[in-house]
Amino acid sequence: MRSRSLALALVATLASAGTAWAQVPLNVVRVRGAGPIIDSAAPLWKQSRPVHVAMLPQTVTLPHNDHPSIHEITVRAVHNGGWIAFLIEWEDSTLSERVVLDNFGDQVAVELPIDAKGAPPSPMMGNPGGRVNIMQWRAAFQHDIDKGPPTVRDLYPNAWADVYPDEILNASDARPYSGALGIENPISRGTASPVLDQMAEGWGTMTVKPDQHALGKGVWKDGTWRVVITRPMVSDDANAPRFEPGLQTFAAFAVWDGGSREVGARKAWASWVPLVIGR
Amino acid sequence: MAKVYNWQIGREMDYPYEGKRPEKQFAMIFDTNKCIACQTCTVACKTTWTPGRGQEYMYWNNVETKPYGYYPLGWDVNILEKLGVQEMDGPVYKGKTLFDAAPTGEVILGYLPEDIDYAHPNIGEDDCTGLMPQGAHLTMPHMQWMFYLPRICNHCTYPACLAACPRQSIYKRSEDGIVLLDQSRCRGYRECVKGCPYKKVYFNAQTRVSEKCIGCYPAVEGGRQTQCTITCIGKIRIQGFLNAPEKVNEDNPLDYFVHVRKLALPLYPQFGLEPNTYYIPPIHVPPVYLRQMFGWGVEEAIATYKTVAQDKKLLGALTLFGATPEISHYFRVDGDTVIGYDAKQAEVVRVPIKEPIVIRPVYDATHKAYRTNIT
Repeated sequence: MRSRSLALALVATLASAGTAWAQVPLNVVRVRGAGPIIDSAAPLWKQSRPVHVAMLPQTVTLPHNDHPSIHEITVRAVHNGGWIAFLIEWEDSTLSERVVLDNFGDQVAVELPIDAKGAPPSPMMGNPGGRVNIMQWRAAFQHDIDKGPPTVRDLYPNAWADVYPDEILNASDARPYSGALGIENPISRGTASPVLDQMAEGWGTMTVKPDQHALGKGVWKDGTWRVVITRPMVSDDANAPRFEPGLQTFAAFAVWDGGSREVGARKAWASWVPLVIGR
Repeated sequence: MAKVYNWQIGREMDYPYEGKRPEKQFAMIFDTNKCIACQTCTVACKTTWTPGRGQEYMYWNNVETKPYGYYPLGWDVNILEKLGVQEMDGPVYKGKTLFDAAPTGEVILGYLPEDIDYAHPNIGEDDCTGLMPQGAHLTMPHMQWMFYLPRICNHCTYPACLAACPRQSIYKRSEDGIVLLDQSRCRGYRECVKGCPYKKVYFNAQTRVSEKCIGCYPAVEGGRQTQCTITCIGKIRIQGFLNAPEKVNEDNPLDYFVHVRKLALPLYPQFGLEPNTYYIPPIHVPPVYLRQMFGWGVEEAIATYKTVAQDKKLLGALTLFGATPEISHYFRVDGDTVIGYDAKQAEVVRVPIKEPIVIRPVYDATHKAYRTNIT
């Protein structure tokens, strides 16, 4: 396992330096159907050949964790002419979906060059002029959608408070007391999707896009996450890639183990993997 | 890392950003000798800013008993232990700041508290260092002691929270030096919670992002002092603006206390953040403890404080504490009166330095009643 990871890492490094691609490309297989592809247990995934991607510690920018706990993910990709989808699997013995001060959530992200036909930008969240689309799935958002967003009582069963502003004030007066929720910080709650549709142009520039197109679903079972992230192949979003059959582009990945307090730049990542859209 | 000058440690130090001081710096002074830990400040802050869901254990202002009180649990002893023993034997600090001591992969030496560390806001309250033996009497400094330490965000000149945030979600306002956390930009990484040695950034599990003291900026912008200051029944606080040492204005009460008389000292200056809340040290506490907490100059500050009754200007300046809700940008002692002025030099308060004594007759002829001294 370790030697394979190192070999893949070397391939990824060479690839990002402009050397001919030796990394096994991720073939996006054309499947039947229409609409979003979000079921990780659907039989259609058997049509896609899995690609094993070595995950390396992010050590370029501060802060970083030199020993992230996830060393490899397995990725499959399909499209149905309207939607492209990635199925990402990795072993994680702890389910981390409860976010409190000292609990962090599991996460995984797919990064795509927005200019899908040009030379790829920096795989590390893009660069000025080199925009990337980053779709990030969060276990906490999946929990919000599947079981409802947690209340204070859910997070702290013995919590007690005499009165909250929203119990005695009208909604607009109570709003300032709801912090980031009151100004609709997209990090505060998963809405219709557990996947954030974002763009970046370098470190620290990650921005949640006003129009959210990414969907997905994650299922944790028997110590393994199976997460689907999907988006329309073409949309009216100028900050999204446009996919068409036969296109050759790239995808990069990042994964966070909440149980190991991985968050933000403390992550495991993989450089560009060739992505071939099947006809 | 850039080189910046930190006057509190008397030397340059490394900081991730260029050193650029604000036009004026929000600052606060606490007279620890007067604080009784009534927590009126805590309640004023709590009801004003943090009564919402997810803010239950969030105290932007708190008052803890030293040496055994902490909020969150062990915040100062934990980071002091991580920093290790450092050399501090003069006004120029020779030890490591928290930026100097940053481990590989980190911006600053810090730690993330456990959730349970916030469960006991009043732990150690009123606990003394020990028992007095039978027949003993107190001498100065006290053999057994405790004191109250009120705390807010220090709105540091070199904030660790700002330095640690990988998204630049935290910024320091150029107009007043108040440090704010952008609630729409924060992604809840908790690097600021980990990085702030004073643990004055809090994580809100309901909103999944961090929050911190805002220095009551809406009030400050209007020329008024913070809620915690104006509600203090012991009149132990004054809030205003502090100039850098090279721009000291002796007529500014905060400059006068901090720079001119060196009566008010920063909290753990050795951390290297140049914090902007200042403490008049408790005169009954052994200086060896206070030196670690407030840095070099504790003995001199205590000696100055003991002479304040004979020092009309200093006494006058101290009389401004709790005298007005307005910010006193300037002050002047005129005879037996101290006068505070706003930014435009208009008078905002006039206080007698010594309250006149009024002796009322035992029999009140107007009300045909005898007054009884019930005290």
